[in-house]
Amino acid sequence: MNEIALALGWIGIYSPMAIGAIGSSIGCAIAGQAGIGAMLETEGGYGRYIGLSAFPSSFVIYGIVIMFTLNREVTAENAGALFGIGLFAGLALLFAGIWQGRACASAINAAKEKPEIFGLSLAPAAIIEGFAVFAFVFALVVSADIPAGGGS
Amino acid sequence: MGDANAYVMLITGLPRPEALFRAKRPPLSRLKLNRRLRVLAPDDAETLERVEQILTWASMPMSMTDAQFVASVRAAMQTINNETLRLIVRDRLEIRTCIAALRRRLRGEGRPSPNNVWGYGRWREHIRRNWSETSFRLDNVFPWLREADRLLRAGDSLAMQRLLLDLVWKNVNRHVGEHEFDFEAVVIYVLKWDIVDRWVRHDSGLATERCDELSESGLGEFANLFQHQQYQSN
Repeated sequence: MNEIALALGWIGIYSPMAIGAIGSSIGCAIAGQAGIGAMLETEGGYGRYIGLSAFPSSFVIYGIVIMFTLNREVTAENAGALFGIGLFAGLALLFAGIWQGRACASAINAAKEKPEIFGLSLAPAAIIEGFAVFAFVFALVVSADIPAGGGS
Repeated sequence: MGDANAYVMLITGLPRPEALFRAKRPPLSRLKLNRRLRVLAPDDAETLERVEQILTWASMPMSMTDAQFVASVRAAMQTINNETLRLIVRDRLEIRTCIAALRRRLRGEGRPSPNNVWGYGRWREHIRRNWSETSFRLDNVFPWLREADRLLRAGDSLAMQRLLLDLVWKNVNRHVGEHEFDFEAVVIYVLKWDIVDRWVRHDSGLATERCDELSESGLGEFANLFQHQQYQSN
């Protein structure tokens, strides 16, 4: 039983980084494909399509920071907390990454026809980023109360 | 990545069609569109072809009877598993069924017999039962029926064409919000391309050409009859 708890604790530590990386990969792939499609159809402004397709890469960075914050000696006392915070922070980053990728793809699709709305079309992606930042910040805040383990 | 994002690159690489009646030409040529559609998975390409075949008048042989057409649609519908596409096809064919009923009635034809397969969709029997009502008692479902009846009676074919294209455009557009980058979005784009193409081809020269094609196809083996007679008289 103790071993399972410890394993869950380690899963919790690594989850935000791994699941965040999955979210960023999928999001960047979706937005990146949209960028390539838009470049086929437009005569210029390629840089901003590529820049926009890299937008969802921030989630893996949030995941890395959460992972380092959670990283400590895993004990039966703190394993549950590490698992819960790590896994749910990771899931939040995963879905934020996928949906931000779709929002960026829509922005690229709209802006290729009407370049003047490029800035405004980023609003949905920025709002999704805001929700991911909530998940990130509060994961850090809550993790401050997790016992360090090893009696320290 | 899932089917919802299956064709992100294809969709973003296609120019957006202009508003229907403002368009002077389709957003890209059919040749270019077909080249872009090469990225479709074989199954999807086949489904798209089937949907286009059902909905494009030009792909229907003149000799095909209503019953044969309905049978072919039923057979094709069994192979289309996508719910949205089935809805699009069904709604479009129901519009055609209503128009066919209006035209038949205007020609003075009586109520079709129950066994006569003359249309497709949920309203065929309802229309048959309410044959003598102006809008077949379908005002709530098809509020445009009275206007279509009026235009047919007035012989205003241009206004009728506008009304029908506007209806099918709206029918297709209804599904746009739910499908942005998936296969359905690709089919919706192609169907909208077809509608714009039909509208911009509403040109007297092309219409004459099409009319000649149809009459030649209708005349069949008798197509050269008059030429032959003229030759003999010379």
